[in-house]
Amino acid sequence: MEHMLLLSVFFPILAGIVLLLKKEYQTRDRLLVFVGAALVITGALACYAIFAVKDGVTLFYLTKTLPIYFKLDLMGRYFSLIVTIVWILAGFFSFTYMKHERNEKRYFGFYLIVFGVLLGLDFAGNLITMYLFYELMTLLSMPLVLHTQTRESIMAGLRYLFFSFAGAYMALAGVYFICRFGTTIEFTAGGVIEAAVLQENRTLFLIVTMLMLIGFGVKAGMFPLHAWLPTAHPVAPGPASAVLSGIIVKAGVLALVRVVYQLIGVEFLRGSWVQTVWMTLTLVTIFMGSLLAFREPVLKKRLAYSTVSQLSYILFGLSVMQPEAMTGALLHVSAHAFIKVALFLCAAAMIYQTGCTRVEELKGIGKGMPVMLWCYTIVSLGLIGIPPTSGFISKWSLAVGSLASNIPVFSWLGPVVLLVSALLTAGYLLPLTMQGFFPGEEYDASRFAGKEPSYGMLIPLLAFAALTVLIGLVPNGLTNQLFTFAAQVMQSI
Amino acid sequence: MGEHLLANYAEVVAVALFGIGFTNLLLQKNMIKKIIGLNIMDTAVYLFLAEKGYIDGHIAPIVVDGNLNPETYINPVPSGLVLTGIVVSVSVTALMLSLTIRLYRRYHTLDLDEITMRLKKEGL
Amino acid sequence: MEIIRNFPCLSILLAMFSAIISSALKGKGARRLNTFVVSAVGALSACTLYLTYTTGESYVYVMGHFPAPFGNEIRFGSLEAGMALFFCVIMLFSLNGGRDKIRLEIDPGKENLYYIMVDLLLSSLLVLVYTNDLFTAYVFVEINTIAACGLIMIMESGRAIEAATRYMIMSLLGSGLFLIGLCMLYDMTGHLLMSYIQASVRDIAAEGLYVIPLLVTIALIVVGLAIKSALFPFHAWLPDAYGYSTVSSAAMLSSLVSKGYIFLLIKIIYRVIGFDIFVQSRIINVLFVFGLAGMIMGSTSAIRENDIRRMISYSSVAQIGYIYMGFGLGSSVGMVASVFHILSHAATKSLLFVSGVGLTDVADDNKQFIELTGAAYRNVCAGLAFTVGSLSMVGIPLFSGFISKLLFSQAAVQSQMKMLPALIVLAISTILNTIYFMKTVIRIYTPIRSKYASVSIKENPLYAFTLLCFIVLNIVLGMCSQPITDWITQGLSVFA
Repeated sequence: MEHMLLLSVFFPILAGIVLLLKKEYQTRDRLLVFVGAALVITGALACYAIFAVKDGVTLFYLTKTLPIYFKLDLMGRYFSLIVTIVWILAGFFSFTYMKHERNEKRYFGFYLIVFGVLLGLDFAGNLITMYLFYELMTLLSMPLVLHTQTRESIMAGLRYLFFSFAGAYMALAGVYFICRFGTTIEFTAGGVIEAAVLQENRTLFLIVTMLMLIGFGVKAGMFPLHAWLPTAHPVAPGPASAVLSGIIVKAGVLALVRVVYQLIGVEFLRGSWVQTVWMTLTLVTIFMGSLLAFREPVLKKRLAYSTVSQLSYILFGLSVMQPEAMTGALLHVSAHAFIKVALFLCAAAMIYQTGCTRVEELKGIGKGMPVMLWCYTIVSLGLIGIPPTSGFISKWSLAVGSLASNIPVFSWLGPVVLLVSALLTAGYLLPLTMQGFFPGEEYDASRFAGKEPSYGMLIPLLAFAALTVLIGLVPNGLTNQLFTFAAQVMQSI
Repeated sequence: MGEHLLANYAEVVAVALFGIGFTNLLLQKNMIKKIIGLNIMDTAVYLFLAEKGYIDGHIAPIVVDGNLNPETYINPVPSGLVLTGIVVSVSVTALMLSLTIRLYRRYHTLDLDEITMRLKKEGL
Repeated sequence: MEIIRNFPCLSILLAMFSAIISSALKGKGARRLNTFVVSAVGALSACTLYLTYTTGESYVYVMGHFPAPFGNEIRFGSLEAGMALFFCVIMLFSLNGGRDKIRLEIDPGKENLYYIMVDLLLSSLLVLVYTNDLFTAYVFVEINTIAACGLIMIMESGRAIEAATRYMIMSLLGSGLFLIGLCMLYDMTGHLLMSYIQASVRDIAAEGLYVIPLLVTIALIVVGLAIKSALFPFHAWLPDAYGYSTVSSAAMLSSLVSKGYIFLLIKIIYRVIGFDIFVQSRIINVLFVFGLAGMIMGSTSAIRENDIRRMISYSSVAQIGYIYMGFGLGSSVGMVASVFHILSHAATKSLLFVSGVGLTDVADDNKQFIELTGAAYRNVCAGLAFTVGSLSMVGIPLFSGFISKLLFSQAAVQSQMKMLPALIVLAISTILNTIYFMKTVIRIYTPIRSKYASVSIKENPLYAFTLLCFIVLNIVLGMCSQPITDWITQGLSVFA
């Protein structure tokens, strides 16, 4: 029963390794059948694990006190469900897209491996397991960034690696402290360190928490260590940048939820300078990310900057440390995941069909690719936060929670920044729609005629657009679950 | 302080010699001078050991006429150590000299720094 | 069971006599004899380890007819036996991995000389591990130095001879200091056997006598061995010696010779000076500072290096810094971490040297990075092994390097004063490690239309097998660390 957890983590990893070691396939179809089957089987295993498995399972002991341990709580289920949906859909999108890239076998091999590693990260039941899979994820997603192996992508990959490791080691310092002082390293609502111990070493623990915030914040593109994200994400092949920007950055979010709410404990942090610094950093990132996205002419880079900004919405929601705001933040995790993946897939489809990368080159694209552009528009509206989309629900909760938190200055500054950033988001996403559909009377858009992508690309896009609207229309079940979780981790102890 | 130095003059000399040998081995450029430094250093240690083992008025621990009274002899262990040390020192010196010969045949100089300079030039 | 007690002495004699017999053999015969002896000594050590670990005691073997305190003794507990086994394993792997290189780079008439040196090295390492007599330790330190020097200069290039000379000079300085320290200790205590010295040192310290001479003695011995094991700032000889010798020599020098001296130092700390007296002396802070400096400076030098072999060598300086930093923490947990790092570093560094040579081979022996571009595609197993070694060095979980870093930081967290500097430098040095190892890994995996031919696994199955063994060793150290740390803790407790 609980071995399904292990199976769904290790099946895709093994499949990926097998694929990497195999000889080159005779025909492309065979490769796709293999990858498709592996993706579907993993999806089925993961779904079974997510919905049916209750107990935890220990794989082995790293040292006596450090077991590699998997257990699903609500957070794990939620994140792994998002990962599974996105990974399978983006995988099917890649089947078409990767036609025009070389080294498909390697790409799909690592794609499968990273799938398993991400599931492992989400299933992790204690700190050391999470850290292990966090590091593995960084390493194994490297080949996706480097895939084209141009000088630009190698430099971007190095930068990605360097920032990620720098962040991971800052976080590792915190891991040592938690292992030393915590009563356990399993994720526990309310924290694992006794209040007396925390008070005794107050300054030390605040510094350690700050280090971990910045360290894991690297993955989530938080200022000041965000610079790798806009260079690393756009150089990957389209679907890879989509999952990098939509899913892998969420690992940073998950890690922060675990650390702040389930290891250190929110009671200790509330009202400390760490919270103030964290909120300031996230608000700076939100604003700066939007502004940079607004000024960026290359579509994929613009989307990457947008990720920087949107991720900090989530982090802001977490930093307020108020149940409503946290619910908003967690809702935004799924909203942003689906939307950003869809946006990147749109960009990939445009590059695949037309070869254009800059926004102004794509004028009039709606004439040739209407369905695709409609999907783009719907998810864009979601990211801006217009009802009835998922983005609206999450941002609404964020703003309400922030106002209800009664933190001086930040309780109203937060929603203001969110609003300004939403306007900027509209400013950088919608011009493509407007110029795409209405290029002007005299503009010749005939070069885009008949460029509508094939169903292999359209279906994932439509699915993401549908999900965005669906969550926006019927959010209650999800919201209630997440709210219960948020209230639980904030009230106990 | 002063009388301590005087009383233990042999140790003082040994340590001073050790220092001289050590600095020579470390700082001299010429290989032969380095090797001389090495030998001074080792000899200083033997002097130190021999001084430690010597007891005034006692004789070398060689049993003659069946005299087994330990009061008559000096401590034999340091002498044994000196002997062993000499063997080690000789073999190390031989190795160093052979290295010097090889370097000299190749580069026609005994100056180690100059050899390094030349190697850098030809190497890179 | 009784008979196992003779095994340590037997393995030392076996190694020494094989060196003598090898001088009468041709190259091939000497090689076979050497492989046999290393394996046999490994098997004997494994038996000894089994005995000492299950009983949890230490044994004394009296050499010759004089009883203590005059005679010469061998003493072994589980830590010594395990170390001997580990050294044999690494030596066997290193020799197998570099076998082709030895054949190519060494004059055929002199191949048997190489194996004589290896046999001598093995025997002297065994003595350093097992002996209970300080002067014997000194003599075999010198034999070890001579053998190591022989391993470097066997290449007979100008570079190698110069490197050997520099190595020899630094080593002699180190052993000179060690010798004078030893004589002063003898002067103060009147003993040469470790257990007896320790008893006297305890008395002296308890009575408050000879405070300064004792401090000077400890300093001389520690500095002497530190020079020999290339602690920063005494590391100047190291990159040349490792960089220009044949690959097996480099692997053995970095993972066995320097580790042998460090193990001797641990032994002296525990069994001669006494751990508490050592911790009370100020030397420990000096070691801590030099260790930290080494961790940073070694890595920065490695980053600047443009030659893969020298880069790996400089990384040794950093790793030895880690070990001394563990000594400097002054707790038994720190000691356990240091001993574990000896194992972890030995396994990783020899893996890196051996796989590095596979990469340079497919670039016509060019060691510059630019020529190595894409080398991992031309020699798949070497590329893979190098990546594993790098990941271990960087400290990725599942590999051995992560565990040693974990142990170091757990030890550091226990010390109030040294916690922050240790943790900060650990983090910085890890990031520096990441820079140069990942740079190399990416370089070797960057595809390029190359003028060099590629090598398949089938052409050299032994090499591939050796690399596989190294990788497995690394992962075992990384994943099953608990029994190993248990063993080290037990061994250290039997030590004192």
